[in-house]
Amino acid sequence: MATETKKLTGAPSILPLYARAAAPLVPGASLLPFIPGGGGEIPDVRLEIDGVVADPDAVAAYAKVCDFALRDHLPPTYPHVLAFPLHMALMADGSFPFGAVGLVHVANKITQHRRLGIGEALDLRVQATKLKAHPKGKAFDVVTEARVGRQIAWESTSTFLRRGKGDPGAASGEAFPIVDEATPASAEWRLGGDLGRRYAAVSGDRNPIHMHSLTAKPLGFPAAIAHGMWTKARALAALESRLPDAFAVDVRFRRPILLPARVEFATSAGTGEEIDFTVRGRGERRSNRHLDGRITPVAAKTSPKGKAN
Amino acid sequence: MNAETRRVAVIGGNRIPFARSDTKYAHATNQDMLTAALDGLIDRYGLEGETLGEVAGGAVLKHSHDRDLTRESVLSTRLAPETPGYDVQQACGTGLETAILVANKIALGQIDVGIACGADTTSDAPIELNEELRATLLDANRQRSTTDKLKTLTRFRPGHIVPRIPRNEEPRTGLSMGEHCAIMATEWDIGRAEQDELAVTSHKNLAAAYDRGFQTDLITPYLGLERDGNLRPDSSIEKLAKLKPVFGGPEGTMTAANSTPLSDGASAVLLASEEWAKAHDLPVLAYFADAQTAAIDHVHKREGLLMAPAYAMPRMLDRAGLTLQDFDYYEIHEAFAAQVLCTLKAWEDEAFCKEKLGRKAPLGAIDRAKLNVNGGSLAAAHPFAATGGRIVAGLAKQLHEDGKGRGVISICAAGGQGVVAILEGPEGAK
Repeated sequence: MATETKKLTGAPSILPLYARAAAPLVPGASLLPFIPGGGGEIPDVRLEIDGVVADPDAVAAYAKVCDFALRDHLPPTYPHVLAFPLHMALMADGSFPFGAVGLVHVANKITQHRRLGIGEALDLRVQATKLKAHPKGKAFDVVTEARVGRQIAWESTSTFLRRGKGDPGAASGEAFPIVDEATPASAEWRLGGDLGRRYAAVSGDRNPIHMHSLTAKPLGFPAAIAHGMWTKARALAALESRLPDAFAVDVRFRRPILLPARVEFATSAGTGEEIDFTVRGRGERRSNRHLDGRITPVAAKTSPKGKAN
Repeated sequence: MNAETRRVAVIGGNRIPFARSDTKYAHATNQDMLTAALDGLIDRYGLEGETLGEVAGGAVLKHSHDRDLTRESVLSTRLAPETPGYDVQQACGTGLETAILVANKIALGQIDVGIACGADTTSDAPIELNEELRATLLDANRQRSTTDKLKTLTRFRPGHIVPRIPRNEEPRTGLSMGEHCAIMATEWDIGRAEQDELAVTSHKNLAAAYDRGFQTDLITPYLGLERDGNLRPDSSIEKLAKLKPVFGGPEGTMTAANSTPLSDGASAVLLASEEWAKAHDLPVLAYFADAQTAAIDHVHKREGLLMAPAYAMPRMLDRAGLTLQDFDYYEIHEAFAAQVLCTLKAWEDEAFCKEKLGRKAPLGAIDRAKLNVNGGSLAAAHPFAATGGRIVAGLAKQLHEDGKGRGVISICAAGGQGVVAILEGPEGAK
């Protein structure tokens, strides 16, 4: 079956999408045709939106929350924020088998083929893959591309897990490099109780599990939890001076960070081409891993203007 | 300490375009802008991963969290993290003073290469807690028991939420920089028309410099700005004549056009020994030949606040064995058109040169066609600590284009200070 392409002319508004994304949590609601959660296969749909230009003030606010310096190019995680309304639109569609609220973000891999200038117009493409077996339920990927002209300048794959009856035989994914516990921390981060709300304001991701303990508790968390993509962005900001122009950064989201929190950041930076990093509990709670990541340089693409940004 | 000194080469510079306050860089911090200026310099001269002797930088309007602004900016860039950095603060002289510091260490052989830089934001300006609130909070913190802490906190009054906003004023006189300059303009009898003319020339020269591509390798665009936001290529005497005075009362001669606006920006200059430049295959744009800083007593001796460069200049010229007329270019920082004109008039004035400078003859007039030939602060605007780097890089490039020649820089600063310097072309002064 051919992929259905839906071209959007403007970014969809996120709040109503959240209402629909969360609706399947209401018993019986998913029987309604416009509510996601029918439980079938992922629809073969590709959402497209052309000519998206980041607002410099919004980038500045995002950079501040994530600790990036405000440069003339986008933080490597920022196109994910630009594409977020498309992710929500995809998952809040009535044909989608689950509601987005309640899905667990387990992995994300971003490949930046070159630096993206703040003023560059990006053509965004978002598509979900078919369901795959997972030991703890069912998983699928949301693949995002940011194109400039005919070139894929940036791409990202987010893996989501729908908890449920798993397939114990399913591979839980390839072995992922881990910064071992003996590696001393290079920094300690103090994360405020309002971090989820601050990141929600700059990213648009207002999932109730991040907003407040009162909204996180009904969804099974004792307190609001930090956004995985914030944790990833913060780690990249800490490594900013060492990032090549073109690189891939792959992370696994492990235990959620309950806010407020003090966590450790440890990295293998300085030992080789690849940089492994981890966000983990402090001191005796080092075995509590929140995020594991690896940065790998890739061959740089040049921008259409002929020079790397 | 080395007895012999060596020549200091200006390799090049980079800055971000300067923005008027609360425009394109409204949300950029000093550290963001300084990092952006350094990024561009590092890219242009292939400094990625290099350990430099030092980076000296500064800002005039600093937050308390801007501690070690320069070192923190270095750590955000691709310079080797083993590159030391330190902050300097000397009002509007900051940028040029950092160049002197780096140049002197290179001359003495203490370092081989370094960056002089500066940034300032008037948009992301520090706003301090109300002074009484600050004292109350600190006192409460000093109490041991909760009861005593709470008791101290009862000193809080609703009025304390009004923060302290920094003013552009001279601490010991209470007058703003512009008001001080207006007094100087009156004392030296500087007219409105000549100030406006200087401003128009500044815009025309800067616009022409952009048009002929002169700025291309001096600037890296930032946050959607490719040219200085203050530049008005169509500026004219007629338009400027319509403006109302902003300093010196209704009879004043200083307007928003012949005074620099509040602005945001950053600049950086790469200085090195000749050996380093050769080893890195980088051409020398100019040599940093000499410099002098001076201060006057604006508090008790009623000296004009911004007249210190007039004193610094003859000291440097005497040491270098030069006269004021021995230059091909004069880069006089246009804080206010009136400041430039007062300074030039003072150097021509027999009484001032005799009584204040203790000289037999005046320094004399300069050829005005050689003044700020690629535009000045009135056109580019003046993010305080970034101005020195803008001027050093621009003059060095001009001297490189000519091959030989000599240029002099003069920058006035708050607190009654002034910084001057001499640059010489790569093939010598003549």
